[in-house]
Amino acid sequence: MASGDVSYFGIRHHGPGSAASLVQALQELKPVAVLIEGPADASALLPSLASPEMQPPVALLCYPEDDPASTSFWPFAEFSPEYQATLWAVANSAKVRFIDLPSSARVAPVDAAQETDGTEATVEVETAPHLRDPIGTLAQAAGYEDGESWWADIIEQNPEPGPIFAAIADAMTTLREGEGPLAEFEAKREAHMRLEIAAARKEFDGPIAVVCGAFHVPALQAIRPLKEDQALLKGLARRKSTMTWAPWTGPRLALGLGYGAGVVAPGWCKHLWRTRGRHDAATLWLAMIATVLRAKGHMVSTASLIEAERLARALAAIRERPKPGFEELRDAAVAALFNGEAVLWALVEAELLLGADVGEIPPDTPLAPLIEDLQRNQKAARLKPEALERELSVDLRSDSGLFRSTLLHRLNVLGVHWGKLIDSGRSRGTFRERWTLSWEPEYAVRLVENLVHGPTIEKAANGRLVQMIGAATSLDALAALVQGAITANLSEASTSGLAALEERAARSSECLEILASVPPLADIIRYGEARKTETARLSGLLERLIIEGGIALAYAARDLDAQAASALVGTMRKADEAIKLVEPEQDVLDAWRAGLAAVLDGSRSTALVAGCAAHLLYEAGHLSAEAAAGLIERRLSPGTPVTEAAGFFEGFFSTAGQRLIYDESLRGAVDAWLKSLDEDAFIAHLPLLRRVFSHLDSMERRRLIEAVLGRVRRLPAGLTPTPSGEEAWRRHLERLGPLLTGGNGNG
Amino acid sequence: MNAAIRLPVEQAYASELQALARNDDRQRPAGWSLSPKAVLTYLLGGKADDGTLITPKYVGRRRLMETAVATLATDRALLLLGVPGTAKSWVSEHLAAAIMGDSTLIVQCTAGTDENQIRYGWNYAQLLAKGPSQEALVPTPLYRAMQDGKLCRLEELTRMGSDVQDTLITVLSEKMMPIPELNTSIYAQRGFNIIATANNRDKGVNELSSALKRRFNVVVLPLPEDMAEEVAIVSKRVGEMAGGLDLPVPKNVGEEIARVLTIFRELRSGATSDGKVTLKTPSGSLSTAEAIATMVGGLSQAAWFDSGKLGAEGLAASLVGAIVKDPVQDKLVLEEYLETVLKKRPDYAGYYAALNAAI
Repeated sequence: MASGDVSYFGIRHHGPGSAASLVQALQELKPVAVLIEGPADASALLPSLASPEMQPPVALLCYPEDDPASTSFWPFAEFSPEYQATLWAVANSAKVRFIDLPSSARVAPVDAAQETDGTEATVEVETAPHLRDPIGTLAQAAGYEDGESWWADIIEQNPEPGPIFAAIADAMTTLREGEGPLAEFEAKREAHMRLEIAAARKEFDGPIAVVCGAFHVPALQAIRPLKEDQALLKGLARRKSTMTWAPWTGPRLALGLGYGAGVVAPGWCKHLWRTRGRHDAATLWLAMIATVLRAKGHMVSTASLIEAERLARALAAIRERPKPGFEELRDAAVAALFNGEAVLWALVEAELLLGADVGEIPPDTPLAPLIEDLQRNQKAARLKPEALERELSVDLRSDSGLFRSTLLHRLNVLGVHWGKLIDSGRSRGTFRERWTLSWEPEYAVRLVENLVHGPTIEKAANGRLVQMIGAATSLDALAALVQGAITANLSEASTSGLAALEERAARSSECLEILASVPPLADIIRYGEARKTETARLSGLLERLIIEGGIALAYAARDLDAQAASALVGTMRKADEAIKLVEPEQDVLDAWRAGLAAVLDGSRSTALVAGCAAHLLYEAGHLSAEAAAGLIERRLSPGTPVTEAAGFFEGFFSTAGQRLIYDESLRGAVDAWLKSLDEDAFIAHLPLLRRVFSHLDSMERRRLIEAVLGRVRRLPAGLTPTPSGEEAWRRHLERLGPLLTGGNGNG
Repeated sequence: MNAAIRLPVEQAYASELQALARNDDRQRPAGWSLSPKAVLTYLLGGKADDGTLITPKYVGRRRLMETAVATLATDRALLLLGVPGTAKSWVSEHLAAAIMGDSTLIVQCTAGTDENQIRYGWNYAQLLAKGPSQEALVPTPLYRAMQDGKLCRLEELTRMGSDVQDTLITVLSEKMMPIPELNTSIYAQRGFNIIATANNRDKGVNELSSALKRRFNVVVLPLPEDMAEEVAIVSKRVGEMAGGLDLPVPKNVGEEIARVLTIFRELRSGATSDGKVTLKTPSGSLSTAEAIATMVGGLSQAAWFDSGKLGAEGLAASLVGAIVKDPVQDKLVLEEYLETVLKKRPDYAGYYAALNAAI
């Protein structure tokens, strides 16, 4: 068979310009087979790409069965020439297949990598720009920022409409002339493609179209002995790999994955594809800019749009380009719509250029393992993914409730926020969780991305948390991660997290960090029962942390500035609350209280922290009312500098305002201090007093005032207490008391 | 011989303009004396078709100049915006010279500019003698530009009151100006357009109304992005100005320009050029134009007082003048800069000593 029967179409990956030219060329050629650059072992999946239910952007993903972490992606957008070629082939019942190295050989054969110095464990990526996007490189050399505009101007506006792809092949031949030997991996790929083409030539009777990156055309056209190519591919290591389709998104197209080339501006490419052959493409683009600007609250008039378009045309004329391209439209928009402010362009750029498309795949395609696992879990949990928000209440005591909660927590670990916990700020002191569920298509893509961490949701969540634990640097972050691991019932992650936590705790002496890690750990211990986790190891760790925190506290409280002091106070209060709730051994509790007392006694302790320590001790009953009153009087005495007195006062009372209403001796101490202030000092203290008492609501404030003024609270009008009321109440109380305390009052 | 200190640019660069016009057979918009392409070559430098070397007038982003020229080619008004000293008036003058061969139709807008200076005024003797009539009417540069199809330049547009600014709205959108006193209007001839310049950040400016702003295409001229570009601008202008003032240019002027500009750029950006030390910024804008003035001041000092030697001593006085605009605040800024940065640089020892002496 003559070699003339094979036509080579060197395209720009994800280039709408080459996609349009390609479709036209295929229409003319009417090939019986279309060979596309892509993993050969995925050929069977290709026809499903053309299924009407397949909505690009989608990606082909291939991963070794035993190692999903090294997944490769081949994204396809609506405007990708590869996608359009497949559509054409299926519609015209031509055979379509991939001809590049099979994915099984692509995915990092471990032993082969070791043979070659063991330097590269992953597939060599095409790194040099002219390899990745030769057409973009040519465009840049011609002074274009956007490769597509160059394609449109130079290739398609060719005054002698001729074979576009022959011109591209010529350009690439020139580009590749005199280049050194290719990297081994690239050479193998080209050898494989050549062999596949040769095989296809034998198999098919009729014209064959080869669609490949423009850079490869000269090499594929070259006539080389088959044996040489076969020798090159000999001993190619293979790993069994699995392949499937996954939905993809616009912004993800812009990432440099698969095909070596990320699309710089999927939004612009899609616009070009949708408006191909139309004359008002520029106008539509400007209208899109205006829509985005208006949505962001900038007034853009239609008259300005007209002017922007006129300017774009004039600019194109000055730059001697046949029609306004990306740069002209941007410059014109900046001058006519944005008042010359290039900053505004940056505001709309992401939205316009990246787009928010989400792909869809037909329900019957083999699914990515994580999505499949999710569907299995959804079935087991009897939860359906729905876009509309709905509320879900989960009872953690029942098996099904626990299962649902665990699933949602695991998904959250993976960044799939299908369920959002309501009141997630509050520690879950109950066995009930309330979630808001709302599914977004974007989540399917996130799941696919998480394949690198493992093939099932449980494994992936474990893997991801283990990775985060490895990267966490502070004790409190670790504690929060461990808490997350335990709530999501991820044993592997919690084990490794606990180990990391212990190691880190042994080395850490930073008081703030230690104290901040106490509340999440205490939470785990208290509610661990509801989640059936083993907590013995944790309580030992927590007790050590409390003791250590107590010892470090006195030193951490020294000489702090306002910001550091208030941070420490906040952490101290939370830690104290957690310690009280977790009810540790008495000696642990004593160690913590000793730490607080040391802060109170330390002469260099920051006043705010000392105040807080005094309050915590007072609340715990370690400071008698008289001692507290004495302390307050001493710390607030006229001799103390005003700012220090104020700091102590704030530390003590910022959450203890209510206490003043009922605690007479405390109130007396404060009252005496306030009376002793001279007028200037009193005025200086007013904002502070206001801040402290602002925690009280109006009712409480009134009660406090009444208490201070010594007024007896009056009953509401019309009610008078019976004269014998007091006596009656005592009798009732005598009977009630035993009942309430559960004593045997009757016996 | 013409003793003018500075000639209008269409005369100073007459030979370049002629060379460009000679073989310019590209299409020209109505009333233009050069094609847009040739105007760009004139602004950005290059070669005329007959090989004459064209010096660059604007050193900076090509895209901005392309937008400016394209704007004028679409009969839409151009507004050049930027902080003081970014070559706005310079670009506006050269644009007018290249497009019309005439950069002299200019209105200098100030807080005192009133409508009569924008639209038309009256010759009161004639007005009293004959009543409102064409003879009694005194045309303004804008009036004449409309009548003759020329470019009118409005300098510092934002300095005049907002009510006066808004007289331009009808002129820009309808390309006509009514003269109700005579029950007539004048209609702009083809080729008429407006180039306005304005400061976007300065004291005593009036914001443009959005109705007026909408009628301009706006090009913001930035401060030069990199050191090399700014050195090129300053060297070129200092050379030209020294020539005009008959000042000899010593050999080491290139090095001194680089040093002065380093000081300017570091203070302007609030960080040293290696990005390691943050600095306070003075209140002035420290623009390229001020760097040029500083250098010319230094050259003059060198020529008349320092027997032709250009050095830190001669430049210090002008440098302090450029940097210290607020006698209290800026002095502190400069002192801090001297102690934290210049003191440690051996090749700036002269500047450190001279500036310390000058403050």
